[in-house]
Amino acid sequence: MRPAAFLRDRLPRYLILAVASALVLIFLFTFHVPAECVVIVSVLALIGAVITELWEFFRRRSFYDKLSSDLEQLDRKYLLPEMLEEPEFLDGRILCTAVQEADKSMHEQISAAHRENSDFREYIEMWVHEIKLPVAGLQLMCHNDGNTRYAEQLRRIDEYIENVLFYARSGSAEKDYIIKPVTLKRVFSDIAVRNREELQERCISLRTEGLDTDVLTDAKWLLFILGQLMNNSIKYEADEIAVTAEVLPDRTVLHFRDNGIGIPAADLPNIFEKSFTGENGRTHGGATGMGLFIVKKLCGRLGHAVSAASVQGEYTDISVTFGKNELYKPE
Amino acid sequence: MKILIIEDDSALRSELSVLLKNAGYDPVCAEMTDIPAQMLSSGADLILLDINLPGTNGETLLQDFRKRSTTPVIMLTSRTSELDEVLSMSYGADDFVTKPYNPTILLLRISAVLKRSAKTGTAQTYHDAEVSTVRGSLTRGGNEQILTKNEMIIFQLLLDRIGEIVTRDELMTALWDNDEFVNDNALSVNISRLRAKLGELGFPDAIVTRKKQGYVLI
Repeated sequence: MRPAAFLRDRLPRYLILAVASALVLIFLFTFHVPAECVVIVSVLALIGAVITELWEFFRRRSFYDKLSSDLEQLDRKYLLPEMLEEPEFLDGRILCTAVQEADKSMHEQISAAHRENSDFREYIEMWVHEIKLPVAGLQLMCHNDGNTRYAEQLRRIDEYIENVLFYARSGSAEKDYIIKPVTLKRVFSDIAVRNREELQERCISLRTEGLDTDVLTDAKWLLFILGQLMNNSIKYEADEIAVTAEVLPDRTVLHFRDNGIGIPAADLPNIFEKSFTGENGRTHGGATGMGLFIVKKLCGRLGHAVSAASVQGEYTDISVTFGKNELYKPE
Repeated sequence: MKILIIEDDSALRSELSVLLKNAGYDPVCAEMTDIPAQMLSSGADLILLDINLPGTNGETLLQDFRKRSTTPVIMLTSRTSELDEVLSMSYGADDFVTKPYNPTILLLRISAVLKRSAKTGTAQTYHDAEVSTVRGSLTRGGNEQILTKNEMIIFQLLLDRIGEIVTRDELMTALWDNDEFVNDNALSVNISRLRAKLGELGFPDAIVTRKKQGYVLI
């Protein structure tokens, strides 16, 4: 709170005081009060006014300056009401009560939204587990009847179901993953076997290198992440997928590289954004712009970094970086 | 081999049972009442146990069952969470397969678990040839043939189901499951090499091709 601003704010009050003082002076002169007396009264009144104003100024300044600096320092501004100390001046107290009441109501609102959100998420999880039963049943029926025609469609259904599940998981505040050492090779071969038919149909060859190494992650989440990357490679016309792990002193970097159509340079910075489909999405169809967005979110929650490099018409390389042994930090 | 299926979804249960029957096993479906008693009294060689069961939980069942029996158990679940897998394995499950499952992979897992539990230390033989998975070789009367990893995987699968048809699809799945991402041509090459090596040992026509079905080791 700057003095000039304070004075400007009090200006109407000073004007009224000045007019009142002038009237008093006129009154005193009319009654022929001695000049000395008038001077003394004026000085005393002035001193009184200055002291009151200084007092008003300082007690307000100490409250509002603390408020402003608290606000500036907080990275979560909404926590401000927790830091309010009730001042002794009336308007400050009214402000505090009002802010605290608003805060309380906001908390109620937020926890209601949280509850609703987690109820919904729970329902989605349950639904996913339920819908998987008929899918599993159909898959077995196809196999038992020797019918391979529907298998591919079932695989797609399952993939979309997984997307929903992991999208729900990626946004949840609950910790539903377990970080432990996972061998990259195991996860990758799992995803390779699942996609074997399609890879062979399209004559896509797989090359792996250095996957015999452990990283700290959740195996199921990583399985989903690699599955998404595999789907993209298949969708965008790769005929070779090379998956390599590079072990560095402080981290392990997994490169998922294919020689498909690549990503235009203009689209590259946006591929991890929600609902971004870009040029490839327009020309190839079937893109929802959700896959890589979910991948990025899951990586964020697990504490992995994910990035992309690509040259259009040559290759796409998505790399996932795993921290080593250090305490990983979720966002 | 008797396999007990504990699954509450009736469609899944009957399809699983058909799958296992076609693969040469003897499946039995459990009733949904007093499951623990059935688990103990069934005399099965392997149990397929669903995690989500009405009124109970596969993990709890497994934990209690393990106190009394060492029969191998494979957990089946539609829950893809690492927590369930870690819990199940810590309660003594032999494997954990998530629904929907690739039927070929499920069968591979089942045969792997059965083989692990049946292992008594005796060396495997093919007729009068000795099979050594450790050395990756076949020996007959002083003549040793070294098999590559791929050839060994193929031979092992054919040997486990000797006299039965093994499809190319199954062979391919087994290879891929062992990180050998081979294509169709490579599989054919591997099989013809394996044939040549078996020929060297005096089994020239050991692997018979069944058109559009697969291969049989005789």
